This record gives sequence, structure tokens and C-alpha cells, in this order.
Amino acid sequence: MKKPNKGRLTETLKHIRRDRELLLLFIPCILFYIIFRYGPLYGLIIAFKDYSVFSGVMGSDWVGLKHFVKFFSNQDFWMLFRNTLLLGFYTLIFGFPFPILLAILLNEVRTKWFKKSVQTLSYLPAFLSVVIISSMIIDFLSPTNGLLNQLLSAFGFEKKYFLVDPGWFRPIYVISEIWGTIGYESIIYLAAIAGINPTLYEAARVDGASRFHMIRHITIPGLMPTMLIMFILKTGSMIRIGYEKVLLLYNPMTYNVADVFSTYVYRKGLLESNYSYAAAVGMFEALVAMTMLLGANAISRKIGGKGLW
Amino acid sequence: MVGERKISVFSIVNALILACIAIATLYPVLYITVISFSDTASVIQGKVFLFPKGFNLDAYKEVLSNNTIPRAYLNSIYYTALGTFINLLFTAVAAYPLSQPNFFGRRVFMLGIIVTMFLNPGIIPTYIVVQKLGLTDTVWSLVLPNAIWTMELIILKSFYENMSSQIREAALIDGASETRILFSIVIPLSKPALASIGLFFFMGHWNSFFLPLIYLNDKEMYPLQVVLRDMLIFNSENDAGLVDRAALAPQAVKNATIVLSMIPVLLIYPFAQKYFAKGVMLGSEKG
Repeated sequence: MKKPNKGRLTETLKHIRRDRELLLLFIPCILFYIIFRYGPLYGLIIAFKDYSVFSGVMGSDWVGLKHFVKFFSNQDFWMLFRNTLLLGFYTLIFGFPFPILLAILLNEVRTKWFKKSVQTLSYLPAFLSVVIISSMIIDFLSPTNGLLNQLLSAFGFEKKYFLVDPGWFRPIYVISEIWGTIGYESIIYLAAIAGINPTLYEAARVDGASRFHMIRHITIPGLMPTMLIMFILKTGSMIRIGYEKVLLLYNPMTYNVADVFSTYVYRKGLLESNYSYAAAVGMFEALVAMTMLLGANAISRKIGGKGLW
Repeated sequence: MVGERKISVFSIVNALILACIAIATLYPVLYITVISFSDTASVIQGKVFLFPKGFNLDAYKEVLSNNTIPRAYLNSIYYTALGTFINLLFTAVAAYPLSQPNFFGRRVFMLGIIVTMFLNPGIIPTYIVVQKLGLTDTVWSLVLPNAIWTMELIILKSFYENMSSQIREAALIDGASETRILFSIVIPLSKPALASIGLFFFMGHWNSFFLPLIYLNDKEMYPLQVVLRDMLIFNSENDAGLVDRAALAPQAVKNATIVLSMIPVLLIYPFAQKYFAKGVMLGSEKG
């Protein structure tokens, strides 16, 4: 009984000795994941404690579910839940068709330089920082000298301070997201179109199909699998809001529509030093996000045989 | 004949729509640049649209004459250079053992790495780890907590896996060490892949604003993005948003700062096209 065990042990040791150099190279990676990915996971126990900087993670007192109870019974909870879900949902629903449309339109262009220039310009926003994009939005919408308000007043409309109007926050966020992501998301669809069998188009052309017909009956059906997978994956990560942009664009006037889990965690935790409470909120958000991501992944595997990894 | 006519109408409409999209993405950047070269009076009167009015460099002189922006600029260059280098080094080295099919514990390591893509502990616990390690207010707080991006690690690992193993085996027989093989064969051969992921690292660091915002308290250490944020965007914690900050600072000065901050990104932008598209595709194939 002992021998095979011992045999396996010596096998393992041999394996380690053989790979010792590779293992040595791998140590920084192991340390990184333990310290910066698993360390914070362990640190999540402060959500069940009253963490103070002086007592540390270990030394702080256990308080059970106190912070969770406080959060769920707080009216902020429903506001945050609604805001996070709606912002993610609108971005998904309204943002989804645009990259596909852009890819289809680009694919119909026969002039190479034009196609290339439009495509190149379309992902310019992906290179700009969220601070610059937000400041562009603020300037564009400024009630004093913003371009939009200049246009409005030129046409006889009243000037409006869009960024303090709760009714405008979500449209502003969603439209700017579309503007920022349309170009690079279309890359994936363009590649998918390139993968469609060209003989389909030739046959259709021989049969006298118009370009509209070919888009409707060849390009779009050919894109369907990609669209489906993209949609499922995007649904899975729906509640991962671009909170940096929210942080830069919101203000107390629009908190009740703009505040999402992450921005709330930032304010409560880092600005008001309510570490444990904020960690509890963050943990709840992480659990919801993980469930959605795993769900989406499972569905995508079932349908397309392709998961996240 | 009718058919051909239809095609040309379609092409024209299509070209118009696409031109609108291109203008929509280009114009904001152009507008900022044009304003930065214009004189204040024309800007306030809303006369500037396509070309600078009253061309001058006053805004740039003002931006560069005080200490804040040049210092922030140097900080950004330093953080971006170091951060991108650390990212590339960590990723290139970590992907190598993982790409060897018989590497000891490969499956366990991969599982441990992939799991972290689903478990996101959030801002607070990570902040506490960084604080406990004493990294706050050092450049390492911006560099180490994200030294490896899991998706990029997996992408590079796949790239290594698709490389021929014959060279490696031959080198091993010749007595070369793994480290030597990695640095003098594998890494030079994977330059295209490293350029693709390096582009994303570079942009991630240059455009990063949240991490320096929470980890750096010393204003002298602020990178450009944080300074820009203080300068351009009303600080929602301090005022109720009632003050239109956009109207306070002179437009030209603000926009000159933005233009300066965009220079590195716009410089690499034309050259980065190829790698950018490739990077997005690699990410989507894995993701």
C-alpha cells in the first residue's frame, strides 16, 4: 500500500525538480495572484466585522450580518439596485445594435481608403481617457457656452443645464457609451462578416438580388451566431457599469438616478471611511455580478459551445 | 439600368451615414484642439467651430508656465513607462511556464487564475491590501495591484502555445536554460503579440485616473488625468453641481491641457491601428 504512494511522491518530486526553473520563473505570478487577487478575497471578511485601521483585519470585532442588514433595510439599496440595473440594461439594449450596423455599412463600402478612414476614426474614442471624454460631455452640454446650448438658443429654444437634470443623466450616459464603443466593438462583427462564405453573395448576385436583400438574407443571418454570443456575454457583464464615468458626471442633483453600487462603495468606503459597510455592499455587488456572469457563460456554452474560457 | 441606379443611391446614403459617424468621433477632438489655439473673446462669443479664430499660443504658454501641468506630465510618463514595462515583464514571464503542456501543476494554476476573473472582491479589500503593504503614495500602488491582466495573460499563453516547440527542444538539448530560452527566443518571437497587449497596457496606464485618485494623497505625485479631473470637472463632493464649472476656467487653457494630454495617445494612434484591431480580436476569441 505504501509503495505506490511513495512512488507517486517521488514522481512528483522528480517532476518538480525537472520543472524547477520554470517554477522559479512562475513565482512572481503566484505571488501576484495570492497577494492582489486572493488577499482581497480574504479581506472581504471585514464585511462581517467592524473594521478599523488600527485593529486590522484580524483584530477587528465580528458583527455578523450587521452591515448587510443595514444595507438591505436602507432605502439606498433599492435606489442603487434600480440605477445599476437600468444603466446596464439601457446601455446593453440601446448600445447593442450600433456596432453591428456600423460593421454592415462598412462592409458595403467598395472604396478602400474611405472604409479604412471611417473605421480608423470610429475607434478614436477608445483611445481617449474617461476624464477627457467626461470633460467633453460637460463642455458640450454646458449651459453657458456649450455647443448644444448654443445650437438650442440659435433655434429659439431655451438653454438647459442637462447635467443637473435627473431625467437626462441616463440618456447622456448611454449615448456617450455608444459613441465611445461603436468603433472597436464593430471590429468583431467585421471579422465575422469576413468569415461569411463569399459564394453566397456571388450566387445571390447572379440571381439578381439587391444589396438590401443580400444584407437581409446573407449578412445578417451570417452574423447571428456572433450576435447571440456577444449578447449573452454582454448580458453577463451588464451590471459592471463604467463607474468612473458616472463618478465624473454625476452630482448630488442626479444621485438618485446616477448613483450605482461602485460609486456608492467609493463614497461610503473611501471618502467616509466606512470600510466594513462599503465592503459588504461591494460583496453583494460582486455576488450578483458573478451569478450573472456564470449564468451567461453557461448559456453561451450550451448554445454555441463557446464559453468565457 | 434601374438596378445600377439603385446601387449608387445606396452607396451615397451609406457613405453619408458613415461620414456622419466619422465626423461624430473626430469632431470633438478637433473642436478641442481648435479652441485651444483661439483667443478667449471668440470662444466666449461662440464663433469658433472648425478653424481657430485669432490664432495664438497663449493658452499653451500659460499651461506650461506654471508647475502643475508639466510636473503631472512627467509623473504620467514615469507611471506609464514603469507600469507598461512591469505589465509586459510579468505577463511575458508568467505565460511561459503556463504554455508548457507538462508544466508542474499547470491545471491547478490555470484554475486558480481563471477563478479570479469571476471573483471580484471590489475596491475596499484591495485598497486595504495596498495600504497594509505600505504602497499608498508610492508609484507601486499604481503598478503592482494590476501587474498581470488575466485576459492578456491567457492571450499570450495561447500565443506561446502556438509557437513551434522544436526550437525550444533544440535549445534545451544544446544546454540552454529556460530563462535563456524565454528571453532570447520566445520573447523576441512574440513581439507582435507583446505589441498588441502592450498597447492596451500603455493606454490603461496613461488614461488611468481612478487608481491614482484613491492611492495618491500627495498632490505633487498626481498624474495628468487626476489634475485634469480637478481642473475640468466639477467636483461633485464639494459643490452641488449648481456651479457651471465649464464656464469658470478659460476654455482655451483647459483645452490646451487636454490637447497636451492627448499627444502621446494620438502619436501612437496611427501606428497602433494594426495592433489595436488584433488585440480586440484576440480578446474576443478568448472571451
